[in-house]
Amino acid sequence: MDFPTPTQDWNAMTDEEFRRRAADLFGTHVPRHLCHLNRRPRWAEVKDWYMTMSSHGWLVPGWPVEYGGMGLSPAKFLIYVEELERSGAPRVMDQGLMNLGPVLIARGSEAQRRKYLPRILSGEHLWCQGYSEPNAGSDLASLRTEAHLEGDEFVVNGQKIWTSVAFDATHMFALVRTDKTVKKQAGISFLMIDMNQPGVTVRPIRNIAGHEELCEVFLDNVRTPRDCLVGGLNEGWQVAKALLGFERIWSGSPRQSILALLRLERFAKLSGKMDDAGFVDRLTQIKMDVLDSASAYDRFAQIMRTGGSFGFEVSVLKIWATETCQRVTELMVEAAGEAGTLTGDVDLGGEAIDILYPFLECRAFTIYGGSSQVQRNILAKSVLNLPA
Amino acid sequence: MLRDSAADFVRASTDHKRLRKLRGTSPGYDAALARQMGELGWFGILVPEQYSGLGLGFAAMAVVVQELGKGLLADPMVPIVVLAGQTLRRGGNEALKERQLSGLASGSLAPCVAWQEGLGGLDASAIETRADATGEGVRLVGRKRFVAGAGGATGFLVTAKSARGCGIYWVEKDAPGLKVSFEWRADGTPSGVVELDGVLVPPASVLTAPSAQGLLGLERAIEEAAVMASAEMLGVMEAGLQMTLEYMRNRVQFGKPIGSFQALQHKAVDLYVQQELARAVLGEAVQALDGGASGAESSMIASRCKSRCSDAGTRITREAIQLHGAIGFTDEYDVGLYLKRALVLSGWLGNASAHRRRFAALSAQHAEV
Ligand SMILES: Cc1cc2nc3c(=O)[nH]c(=O)nc-3n(C[C@H](O)[C@H](O)[C@H](O)COP(=O)(O)OP(=O)(O)OC[C@H]3O[C@@H](n4cnc5c(N)ncnc54)[C@H](O)[C@@H]3O)c2cc1C
Repeated sequence: MDFPTPTQDWNAMTDEEFRRRAADLFGTHVPRHLCHLNRRPRWAEVKDWYMTMSSHGWLVPGWPVEYGGMGLSPAKFLIYVEELERSGAPRVMDQGLMNLGPVLIARGSEAQRRKYLPRILSGEHLWCQGYSEPNAGSDLASLRTEAHLEGDEFVVNGQKIWTSVAFDATHMFALVRTDKTVKKQAGISFLMIDMNQPGVTVRPIRNIAGHEELCEVFLDNVRTPRDCLVGGLNEGWQVAKALLGFERIWSGSPRQSILALLRLERFAKLSGKMDDAGFVDRLTQIKMDVLDSASAYDRFAQIMRTGGSFGFEVSVLKIWATETCQRVTELMVEAAGEAGTLTGDVDLGGEAIDILYPFLECRAFTIYGGSSQVQRNILAKSVLNLPA
Repeated sequence: MLRDSAADFVRASTDHKRLRKLRGTSPGYDAALARQMGELGWFGILVPEQYSGLGLGFAAMAVVVQELGKGLLADPMVPIVVLAGQTLRRGGNEALKERQLSGLASGSLAPCVAWQEGLGGLDASAIETRADATGEGVRLVGRKRFVAGAGGATGFLVTAKSARGCGIYWVEKDAPGLKVSFEWRADGTPSGVVELDGVLVPPASVLTAPSAQGLLGLERAIEEAAVMASAEMLGVMEAGLQMTLEYMRNRVQFGKPIGSFQALQHKAVDLYVQQELARAVLGEAVQALDGGASGAESSMIASRCKSRCSDAGTRITREAIQLHGAIGFTDEYDVGLYLKRALVLSGWLGNASAHRRRFAALSAQHAEV
């Protein structure tokens, strides 16, 4: 399959010009009815938006141009993200874009890149991430789903869980055990699996906000060709960590807290809370927490922009961004009093705001992507050099 | 003894599947269970013997509500027995009190109080609902919000104001001009919106005639209900923390129960500290209510109690989700039900922030005297 030819050298533009282009494109095409949605949309709902972005060549800012990405410099990438967030665009099926793509670009074979990347861009392949298992969460390396070679195929057996939007996915990239005789991390491989085959069973799990997003995926004698192995056999642990630049700091981005803060400020104005000095003090404290979260993010972004690199200290970003976001939503619930415990859109004098959903949704931010506790362990051990 | 029978009831009746099915339905609790509670005499705990109640105190009530809270089964108790019952008790209309309180004690009547409006808040006199005098009595015009227990209510005690001040009026649930609809709370239970479009109240249905002091009895009942909601919250946080400790003992990661990680042990201990603070202040508040503490004193302890219990309950159940990991984020796993109940209880009758403000205002007044 061919890659779309790049239309423009985005990096040659001034930042202002690029920002204008981004705002223009998103502003024109973002489906209004899906903006700032209080749930994760299904593929059928966001497909048109995905395809529009794809046809304009604006789907993946981070991939290199030769693979159909925009090849944006870190500075332009940041602008892209800011403008996308500002537009309120719905979340699409992004595991292929954010995770598998970068992994293939860093560690895949050229044949794998040529086969899979264009199909991510075209929306033909929709990916889910099959890492976690019932007994392998924070301790991912203890995963038990296993695969063995039979001729030219891997045969996979086991169970994955918490697989986001697996019901809309056509494919799964998974970590599987391929050697039980060695140290846990050394016996894991990274496999790509077609979900459209007998032996794959997907069961949705309703989340605390009442929506189906998480899934359990059962793999029962599921087959995948040998060339769906990414990296070498038993190299899966390293492969899974091969994320590119911005994907590494993404989970520490202040975007969710900024959105939550904007909602809180709107509510404060509507409800007359700004006349209340006690509230204003707390609002300002949390606002500074959000702004400082953005500063910390920018600091790491600046390091990337200038071609620098960083280590485990990046965990600071995720801890502060996600916990701050939770505190913003907690203050919102508290400030709204009785109305703060109602579900759905709550009428706050002329404008309806959903108070509870963001509160519930962000409970997960400190659990996935390395829990707050796991991030602290990393910092204590690898940055503060405290003894084990 | 009361604690044992309540604990037995909770053991036999706790059914989180049923709870999930009841979400988004009215009255939001199991009517058969409510009937059983009535048969056990629990609706009459606070009702004086002269109205066929048991005439027991808040200590007894707190025990029952706390136990029921552990099974998420307390819902009809506090709004009806405490808030409405105690409002009725302090009313000035003997015939109405006799009828409503004995009905309440036997479980045949379920009166509710409709006092808040707009965005809520603790100031009972901050209302717009009017009582306009007519030849046959008064006509009520207004809109009430956040009416707990409204789904199963047989009628409402409505606050309204007129030139002479605020009064409290009894309105049957099917009175012409009355419309009840629902907003849904975090745990899926209904919160009533009561619209009054010229509902006629004859003199015989006036519980408390309008005056500058017309809402004093209600204000006192709100305080008592806030303390009993705190007792329910204590049950909710105890069950939420127990469930979490149990999970920490059994969930293995990195070859060990996660409860063996010191970072998590300290987290759990911090939650336990909150639970014990809540228990202590609740105990003191209940004593103050039963022991006839002065108005200002019992108001202050009530606010301290509701504030601590609201904060402790939401914090413990929020952290409970975190300590469970992804499974805590699902609807299928029970711990989330406790977070949602804690949210509802923390917001109802004034949340921690509202009660801190009230406490500060009361302290300032107290200091002046
Ligand atoms: C909304 C959501 C979406 C997700 N999407 C996906 C997906 O698409 N694909 C996928 O593979 N997975 C996904 N996950 C799973 C996620 O990666 C796991 O939830 C995460 O790894 C934590 O594992 P766990 O839930 O089993 O919790 P556990 O690891 O069991 O942790 C339970 C508690 O113990 C703490 N803990 C664990 N170990 C330690 C330690 N050593 N020291 C101190 N504390 C510790 C944790 O912080 C947590 O508080 C998703 C999860 C959520 C909530």
